[in-house]
Amino acid sequence: MWWLTAPLRTAVVPAQSGIIPRGTMVEVFEEIYLVFLVLGTLVGVVVIGYMCYLGYQYRDTGDGSDGGDGSGGDGKKIDRPTLGELPAGSGGGRKLFTSLALSAIIVISLIAWTYGTLLFVEGAPAEGQQDFEVSVTGYQFGWEFEYPNGHTVDTLRIPAGERIDITVTSRDVWHNFGIPAFKVKSDAIPGQQTDAWFIAEQPGTYQAVCYELCGAGHSAMNADVIVMEPEKFEQWYANTSGSNGSANASSGNATNATGSGANATAGNGTSGNGTGGNGTSGNGTVNALIADTASKLA
Amino acid sequence: MKSDDSPTDDTIDGSPTGTDAGTERAGRTPADTDGGRTATDGGHAADGGHASTGGRVTAATAEGELVTPGQAGTDAGTDTDHGHGLPPLGSVRRYLITTNHKDVGVLYIVTALFFLIFGGVLALLMRVQLWGPGESLLSAGAYNQAVSIHGLIMVFWFLSPFAFGFANYVVPLQIGAKDLAFPRLNALSYWLYAASGLLLGVSFFQGASFAGGWTMYAPLNLPTYTPEVGSTTAVLALLLFVVSITVSSVNFLTTMHRMRAEGLTLRRLPLFTWTILLTAWMMLFAFAALLAALMILSADRLLGTTYFSFTEGGSLLWAHLFWFFGHPEVYIVFFPALGVMAETFQTFTGKRLVGRKWFIASMVLVALQSFGVWMHHMFLTSINLQVKTLFMATTIGISLPFDLMVFSLIYTMIKGRIRFATPFLFSFGALVLFIVGGITGVFLGAVVLDYEFRGTYWVVAHFHYVMVGGVTALVGGLYYWYPKITGKMYDEFLGKVHFALYFVGFNLVYFPMFLAWETPRRVFDYPPGLAPWHKIATIGAFVLGASFLVMFYNLSTSLFTGEDAGDDPWKYVTTAEWTVPSPPPLENFPGIPTYRSGSIDFLSEDERPALGGGEPAADGGHAAESTKSGLTDGGVADAEAVAARSGAESASTPSSQGEGHRGSHAPEDGEDEHEDHASIWPLAIGVGAFAFLLGASGFQGGEFAGGIAGAFYAWVLAIGALITGGSLVGMTRERFTGPSGPFGESWPFDGIENVKTGVWIFLASDVILFGAFIGSYVFIRVANGWIGWEPIPHDPIPGLINTYLLLTSSFSVVLAMVAAEKGSKKGVVGSLIVTIALGIGFLVNKGIEWQELLHEGLWLSTNVRTSTFFLTTGLHALHVIAGLAIAVYMLVRASRGAYLDDERPIEYFGLYWHFVDIVWLFLFPLFYIL
Ligand code: HEM
Ligand SMILES: [Cu+2]
Ligand SMILES: [Cu+2]
Repeated sequence: MWWLTAPLRTAVVPAQSGIIPRGTMVEVFEEIYLVFLVLGTLVGVVVIGYMCYLGYQYRDTGDGSDGGDGSGGDGKKIDRPTLGELPAGSGGGRKLFTSLALSAIIVISLIAWTYGTLLFVEGAPAEGQQDFEVSVTGYQFGWEFEYPNGHTVDTLRIPAGERIDITVTSRDVWHNFGIPAFKVKSDAIPGQQTDAWFIAEQPGTYQAVCYELCGAGHSAMNADVIVMEPEKFEQWYANTSGSNGSANASSGNATNATGSGANATAGNGTSGNGTGGNGTSGNGTVNALIADTASKLA
Repeated sequence: MKSDDSPTDDTIDGSPTGTDAGTERAGRTPADTDGGRTATDGGHAADGGHASTGGRVTAATAEGELVTPGQAGTDAGTDTDHGHGLPPLGSVRRYLITTNHKDVGVLYIVTALFFLIFGGVLALLMRVQLWGPGESLLSAGAYNQAVSIHGLIMVFWFLSPFAFGFANYVVPLQIGAKDLAFPRLNALSYWLYAASGLLLGVSFFQGASFAGGWTMYAPLNLPTYTPEVGSTTAVLALLLFVVSITVSSVNFLTTMHRMRAEGLTLRRLPLFTWTILLTAWMMLFAFAALLAALMILSADRLLGTTYFSFTEGGSLLWAHLFWFFGHPEVYIVFFPALGVMAETFQTFTGKRLVGRKWFIASMVLVALQSFGVWMHHMFLTSINLQVKTLFMATTIGISLPFDLMVFSLIYTMIKGRIRFATPFLFSFGALVLFIVGGITGVFLGAVVLDYEFRGTYWVVAHFHYVMVGGVTALVGGLYYWYPKITGKMYDEFLGKVHFALYFVGFNLVYFPMFLAWETPRRVFDYPPGLAPWHKIATIGAFVLGASFLVMFYNLSTSLFTGEDAGDDPWKYVTTAEWTVPSPPPLENFPGIPTYRSGSIDFLSEDERPALGGGEPAADGGHAAESTKSGLTDGGVADAEAVAARSGAESASTPSSQGEGHRGSHAPEDGEDEHEDHASIWPLAIGVGAFAFLLGASGFQGGEFAGGIAGAFYAWVLAIGALITGGSLVGMTRERFTGPSGPFGESWPFDGIENVKTGVWIFLASDVILFGAFIGSYVFIRVANGWIGWEPIPHDPIPGLINTYLLLTSSFSVVLAMVAAEKGSKKGVVGSLIVTIALGIGFLVNKGIEWQELLHEGLWLSTNVRTSTFFLTTGLHALHVIAGLAIAVYMLVRASRGAYLDDERPIEYFGLYWHFVDIVWLFLFPLFYIL
């Protein structure tokens, strides 16, 4: 379907590259939301205000007159509907289409504008941008996070300021993984992989939430997301290992995973394995950092 | 008054038209001998409640000049009989057996309001729970049930039936018809709806009701995750509801296309009727997709097929099927409200709609487009960027026609004389709410924003603004038509109080949801910072609820104390329902309505032959009705087809010719013919269906549970099957006369009578049903890998033989018809026997094939390959069985000499049978060869 996206891409992207919101998901969202909110409120207030004005202006005053002076205001007597007539309309097509054209312009330009951002959001990380991959698996009722090195936890720890790419799936029913603070969300569907990314700017503890009804535990299907200073994160990450016992137990086994709150700290004792544990080394920058922190520790 | 070969023989109302079918098919009469007429066929007397206005008799006296004296005389003789066995308006019994569209309309409205209360109470429970973040009035499981059933009730059991209550009452009046095309089917729709609602209620007492959300996402909707019997019951209840909707759509479409008064071309149709017409078309196709989804889900739950538990694509398959239905559904619930707004705006502003033709064009456009936007509910799934782009574009495309409609309504106020009576207040309010809902919908249409809003209270707020905005207009409709329905005026002051409370309450509940949008949807725990908004919303919910108490008080006391409303309590109304008394007489009009002169007149029966003479400005393709026949309530054809779909009965022997033989009963005693308005069978079928499905709910994974419970369910199932089957037979054998032509305008079905039109329309929805089944198969197979998928039968030969058998049987049906045309009884009987034999041969052959597969250990539940094979071809086999049941019934009648004068029943059966064959032509290569 390139015929659809390609022209849109060429029409939208170069022409507006200055206007199109980029940045973290939060920045993108806030910018677009604000514009929509302002324009939406404006349109709403104008249209509803106009309705109310008309309602007042043409209210039936009960004095038997039409439009105040017995006429339609322009001197012509208004032809009122009569009982049993064949349904008909009254003209006004031009007015209608003018308004339609106006609203169409607003709506279409708004959407076209956000389309540029959609392409950006859906796109791969920019050249040279650091990114870090985590796979997320939902289950009744919790989340399991797996790092590139195979380490599995149920509290997500991530470095601040780095683009985090998540691949989301589910082990049982349909869930939806989202971290409201970072404006990221993705369906967790059994047998399917969905992708999303986000950037966490500030270190701290946040919440991941389930956004799709998934059973009795849905309301409490939260996980902690701990955003760490990059160095601290690397330090922590370096101490994790894919061959870690508790990680193995919880991958592919819902019942075990439910109670494995201890996972998060599992890496603590086994320090010193440095970069060795990294099975999937598609991630040069992180590896370098890990090596770096490992040497600092030493 | 007339004899067998009289030209009037076929005209149900005895009008002496020489142009009716009777002339073409002179003597097409009492071939039928299997049973006498049971319903008393008396005169058109006034029924009790209609003392001053009811029936044609009173019409004759009050407006005698419009009615032929001869007719009045006939009727007057049997004045004591209450409208063909119909008890008076006030009696409960009347409502159990009525088939009159106005009574059925009232039943729908009252029942829907009951469900409004039911769903409303669930909503209040949720709002109490949401008062603060940690509240726990309900357990987690109970909360999920409340969310799910609230959604299901409001969308299915309240909104559409409420709208269709008005449609039932008003549409025939607006188009100038005496009733719907198939009155008994209309009653049947109602009783199936009532039965499904009851079933849903019962589900709460079977462990727990369904708790997987109204969207019922897979695989949460499977017994693995929602094992309670009540969950199954809720699914089956929805299935039954869908069957009811399908029957209803066929009925409304036939009526609206075929039975319009002269001069009411489609373009001239009143706007409310227009919206119902489009709604019914959307329902026909959208609900067929949902029917497929629910049948598969029921098979998964009851029989153990594995569609939705299929990991590689089951979840997505459900989402596609559900939203393919789900998006049109949002317009299905909204369009009638739009129609009410259009009517009330015109009435209370005293202006005709601005840009009426563009308004209609926009609605047609939306109805078509509604089937092409469903994936905007799936932006966060694994669909790719191109598809997202496409659906983003279509979503924006569909919002533009709405802009036009909104402006059209707004501009209609210009130069009006606007009276803010209660109905208009509600309509005006509804438009305001809809504008807010629409604007916030555009937010969701921007995919990047949808990524954030999805699954939050933003969506909740958005769709409540649009949907409950629609309810607002319908409440306006209730006030608008209340005087027409009851003959009494409601209390205007209390009406305004209701509106004030309602509007304030509404915005208090739903607006804060936009502000607290970060609350995840269907969750009762939320960030404490949002609590103030939720508290306001909870207060608003109670205000909104209380406003309805005012309404119920107002409307129920006004029944007794209200002023008499008169024919037309409003000024500037135009549509035909206001030209007749309030409430309208049993058969609506004092004569035959026509718009020949540009506004409505009522022709006496004498003037009827003139009908169709003057062709008004037509919207194309109108042949006058004069050359065709009007047949009556052929309902049974559809009833049985529906039964076949639900798989609920194979024992009954319904007849596709329905009441096609109605011409046969009256002449003996020289009595005039009249429409019937009562039948007990719709209710009986409703009871049977209820029991059958209740019993079926105890079935899981291919068997009943052990012990007493299992035995109980098995018995209930058996009894339900008996009642359903017996009632279908009863309904088929009952003589019932529905409205018949000639009608004024029937475009585009001018040359086709009602039953045939109905069969065609029904088959159109069946196409979607099979389309969805085949689509599901293809979807799953693609997800699984098209190539690695072996057909289940190792040997295509039995399938090939079956193809030949079916094709030949199609041919033999044609022979039966030809024989009937030639008047050869032997030929008819012989050809039917051949058809049946071939059909049985098909089933036996299939049975052997399945037997062998079973021996190899392959059955429905073995894997997803076998599931698709057995379920899809099984559905087809059910269609064959249903067809055979009809054929056997026809054979019995043919052997007594039926169909020789009128072969049309064979033709209708043939239509169905050919369709079943054609389906097989698709299934065979897909499941045996590829
Ligand atoms: C201006 C026109 C409209 C637009 C652009 C629009 C857009 C959308 C979109 C994109 C969604 C998906 C939100 C999500 O789940 O992420 C949505 C949801 C919904 N809309 Fe609309 N909509 C419009 C009008 C309506 C109307 C007229 C109705 C009903 C009368 C309606 C009822 C709904 C419902 C029920 C849902 C939620 C379904 C669910 O997830 O349970 N919308 N709308
Ligand atoms: Cu969840
Ligand atoms: Cu939609």
